[in-house]
Amino acid sequence: MTDASPTAEPLLRTLSPLLHALERDLRGWLDGAHRQPLSLIARAALEGMARDLGRQSDALDVERPLLIVMLMGGTGVGKSTLLNALAGGAVAQASFTRPTTRDPVVYYHESVKPDRFDEALRHCRLVPHDRPNLQQKIIVDTPDLDSNDIANRDKLIALLPVADIVLYVGSQEKYHDRLGWDLFKEQRKRRAFAFVLNKWDRCLHSGALGLRPDQDLLRDLKDEGFAEPRLFRTMAQAWVDAPAPSGLPAGEQFAELRDWLELGLTRLEIEAVKARGVGQLLAQLDHGLDQARPSDLTAEAERTRTAWDEVLREEADTSGTVLVSTLEPYSAEIEHHFRVEGQQKFRGLMSAYLKLTTKLRYAGTSLRDKIPLVPRMEKKVETPTNWNLAAFAHECTRVAGERVLNQRAGALVNRLLVEADRQRFPLPLLNGPTNEAARTDWQVRYDRALMEALAEVERIRTRPRGIRKLLHVSVVTLSNILPELVFVASFLLLLWRFFDPQSVGYKVTSLDLLLPFALTLFVLVVLQLLSALLLPVRWSSVRDEFHRQLVSRLETELAAVYGPIPGDTAAALLRERAKVDELLTGVREVRAWLETRQTLASVAGLYGD
Amino acid sequence: MDDADHRQLVSLLAGDLAWLEDHCRRQPALARDAGQLRLAAALVRNVAGPFLDGGAITPLHVAVVGGAGAGKSTVVNFLVGSAVAEANPQAGYTRHPTAYLQSTTASGWSGHLGFLGSLRKLDQPAPADLDQDVYQVRRVPGDAASPLGDVIVWDCPDMTTWAASGYVPRLIEVAALADVIVYVASDERYNDEMPTQFLHLLVRAGKAVVVVLTKMSEAQTGRIVEHFEGEVLSRLPKATSGRPAVPVLAVPYLTSEQLADPAGKAAVHRIPLINQVMVLTDPTTARKRTVDHALQYLSTACGELLDVAQQDLAAMDAWRGLVQSSRADFDNRYRTEFLNGEGFRRFDEARTRLLDLLELPGAGRAFAMTLFVLRMPYRGLRSLIEKALIRPAAVNVGEAQVLEGSFRAWIDQLRAEAIRRADSNPLWKHISQGFNAGLTDAAHDQFQALLHSHQLSSAEEIEGAARAVTAGLEQNPAALASLRAGKLLLDVAAIILAIWAGGLDWPTIVYIFLFVSLAHQVVELIVRQYVEGRRSAIRSRKMSIVSHDVSGPMADWLARWPATGGSAYEKLQGALRRVPDSIAQLRRLAEPRLRA
Repeated sequence: MTDASPTAEPLLRTLSPLLHALERDLRGWLDGAHRQPLSLIARAALEGMARDLGRQSDALDVERPLLIVMLMGGTGVGKSTLLNALAGGAVAQASFTRPTTRDPVVYYHESVKPDRFDEALRHCRLVPHDRPNLQQKIIVDTPDLDSNDIANRDKLIALLPVADIVLYVGSQEKYHDRLGWDLFKEQRKRRAFAFVLNKWDRCLHSGALGLRPDQDLLRDLKDEGFAEPRLFRTMAQAWVDAPAPSGLPAGEQFAELRDWLELGLTRLEIEAVKARGVGQLLAQLDHGLDQARPSDLTAEAERTRTAWDEVLREEADTSGTVLVSTLEPYSAEIEHHFRVEGQQKFRGLMSAYLKLTTKLRYAGTSLRDKIPLVPRMEKKVETPTNWNLAAFAHECTRVAGERVLNQRAGALVNRLLVEADRQRFPLPLLNGPTNEAARTDWQVRYDRALMEALAEVERIRTRPRGIRKLLHVSVVTLSNILPELVFVASFLLLLWRFFDPQSVGYKVTSLDLLLPFALTLFVLVVLQLLSALLLPVRWSSVRDEFHRQLVSRLETELAAVYGPIPGDTAAALLRERAKVDELLTGVREVRAWLETRQTLASVAGLYGD
Repeated sequence: MDDADHRQLVSLLAGDLAWLEDHCRRQPALARDAGQLRLAAALVRNVAGPFLDGGAITPLHVAVVGGAGAGKSTVVNFLVGSAVAEANPQAGYTRHPTAYLQSTTASGWSGHLGFLGSLRKLDQPAPADLDQDVYQVRRVPGDAASPLGDVIVWDCPDMTTWAASGYVPRLIEVAALADVIVYVASDERYNDEMPTQFLHLLVRAGKAVVVVLTKMSEAQTGRIVEHFEGEVLSRLPKATSGRPAVPVLAVPYLTSEQLADPAGKAAVHRIPLINQVMVLTDPTTARKRTVDHALQYLSTACGELLDVAQQDLAAMDAWRGLVQSSRADFDNRYRTEFLNGEGFRRFDEARTRLLDLLELPGAGRAFAMTLFVLRMPYRGLRSLIEKALIRPAAVNVGEAQVLEGSFRAWIDQLRAEAIRRADSNPLWKHISQGFNAGLTDAAHDQFQALLHSHQLSSAEEIEGAARAVTAGLEQNPAALASLRAGKLLLDVAAIILAIWAGGLDWPTIVYIFLFVSLAHQVVELIVRQYVEGRRSAIRSRKMSIVSHDVSGPMADWLARWPATGGSAYEKLQGALRRVPDSIAQLRRLAEPRLRA
């Protein structure tokens, strides 16, 4: 207790709204969606802390906060007897059958209205008193923590969060018991602890070996970081039997315990305990949030992305090869289509001639679908005369999908996950998005890629550029002019020879009449050969071009769907991290604020290091 | 079976149970079962082992157990008859068991191999708080006439303090050895959870138990005994040997004079206890009862003891299931990506060869040539039609590539799944760590080895099958001759039919062309049908090779992997298999001596 104490009252009242704000933020974060999975235990711990924040904020929002001292210990150690001794009467049921106390007893000053109590205390047995020294304090007797009646332990654990000071009661037999000690270790970072070694007379057995129980307990507490714990050696039963017992063994300290509770814990000390309790809660919260803070996966995401790009490129290449190979049986149709498209440029005689030859040449491609016995695709593929690109592409991807691609979709996800794991990217974060991506309708995307690639190759073929364009234009121009020219010229020649005055008597033979046609046909054939030679439309030459187009399109598609997943996930985690950081900053601000104002000297012994 | 075999059986079973106990202690969720396994192992070591070895049925052992500060030392002093064990106010002071025996008791009872398991006998007296896996023996003066002259009394550590988790195994070891358990509970402790659980375990194991309630005031004695019987004894589990009758004695809070002189000043409290223990330590029956109950307990609790491995076995099954289902995916990929699209062109050659074989040799060659010429227009027409109608086959991905890709997908699937489930069971963690530590490469090598032998045999297989199409006929001249004769007959019949139909007019020539071609087409159709049959046979044959010789062994290898290489799962499987057999064998061996 120092002279900084006048700030104590405003301190606690100011703390209340701050804690309330923290609680609200924490709850908001807990209820929000999380990309980083929060383990059940971590979530439960944080929710417990949110509840505690609310509880503390309510408890501090009063003129004079109440100090709750809670007795905790095994059955039969004398918790109820101790309370009775403190109360100077039988307020709690004490008996020799175990376990005795099933319903907790709340011993409080009559001036305090029970509706100010925390929810957990309202359902206990309420025993009011009129002792002014205990006005601001509530003493709670709890059920045991070690009997066969497990329900008692649950009741105790439900009550503990309310306690400001836990009075850990042990007897010669039980001061060392595991169940109590474990609970103490679990709670010691959350609240103040004082210790009572009851049945002190039994500890004084003269044993030549071993430590006296109080020394043993002090040693263990020192190991736990309590260098100077408040330990009271009591014989509560004697004080119940007589108000001022005589013949007490040396070192009996019940009177000191009573004095400490009544007089030692002054208002200022109470406030210091309260503030310290809040400080401990905030420290726990700090730690809990720090644990729940998502890690920064930017570097892992970067590496994963690079590794995935390689996998996706490979995948696109294989898928492209598979799709092109399913087009193989339709090479004739595709050639036909390109030829027909190519012929659009030709006019007049050349055009008519080409149509005729093409028709003859690809008679089979239309014939095939009209003959019932020939193996064919399930759905009729439109022949190039009325080419339906969408249906054609769809049919191809369907066949390819059934054979290969559908099975690859699942395999691809597994491959990506394994790669990500190799780059140390935590898999639980990727499972959802990758499965989502695998569920997208890949057939639609393959269809589109196939159609676009076909159209692109067609565009390149029919509208060439550079030197090819020059060639193309000259061949077309030549073809559009030359046959007609030759035809007309040869007729003119025939006419000239017929009317030539120098060759009177010239007989026109049928051979002469055929000559213009034969000549024109010859020119047409030569031109056709020329265009076939200079502007080839063979499947084998289109194939590579097509494969290239298809692979680059598939690569884009795959990269668009899978590529951003690691980055997006890492970014989402960073956002969550920022949110947690924000919470942490809030918590630390309040902690710092509290630390600069609180005075701890007189209560340090109630807390370990 | 001689003694060496007995000993081997006992140490094997105790070893298996001890391994399972360790396995449990490593998994926090199963730590509770470790005590039961320790008790079972200790029963095998300390009770069944010496009995089968033909050890003496005395001295008998009485173990005094209870929570910290309950008054165990006082009870030990009562049993021994003098204040030999020091009562100590520090809770949990005693950290290892101490045996008290009268100087007249024979020695040698502790000489059995594996006696008290890992506990070592101290040569020198040491303070009771020595926290090591040891026990000590203290001889106290006594005479053969004393009521419990041939009984060894064990002072045991407690099971309630926070340090006890380190030394409870020592307590269990001695409790398993004991013929009679004296369970001490104070007025504070008698309804505590941890000592009660320990009492339950001992009762289930068929131990004879005497309860001593201590430290109450004289006036409360009756009420507390009644309350204890109602609250604790009535809820005791049923032992294999029936619901036990547990006598309850009360010893009130004693003065230090009474404590110092158990045989004199405290005799009034001591004598009922001595009487109760004497009833249960009849030298002719007590040891046999202990052995009998222990074996009964082991037989009935066996299933429960092995339950601790249930989760591991379930995970093991899940892994096997995953391997098998992904194996089906592998087979399926091979079928659809390769086999269905594969034409086995080798069979087209075989068909041509078969047709050639059917042509007449030698002098008949001229006739065959004539017919060949006659069929020329038909052949021309047919090739034209074929050219117009037959599409090129889709390009197939190479077999090796398909196998490699499918295998990689298989391994990826297993690996991704193992990583996904790594937190659910240690087995999956073990597998995913295995993948990080070279399981992928090991599996790949294994696969390559399988593939290597498979590819050789299957390439030969296809070649052989294709050759077999013609080889059978080549080696069987009679059949070949009759087939050729059949074809000749068909051709001649066609010509005769043409001449008969057309008379000696010009249509005859057309008819001859037509009918000869028709006859040939019929033969060709038959041959084609035959070869196609062979082709689909080789296809299914190839599938079965991949499935039986490659993916099958591969799946077995993968499924077995977690339980190989000296891993915990290998030991687990071994222990699970052996324990029930060993227990049954132990019981069979002990039966004659028990009934003797």
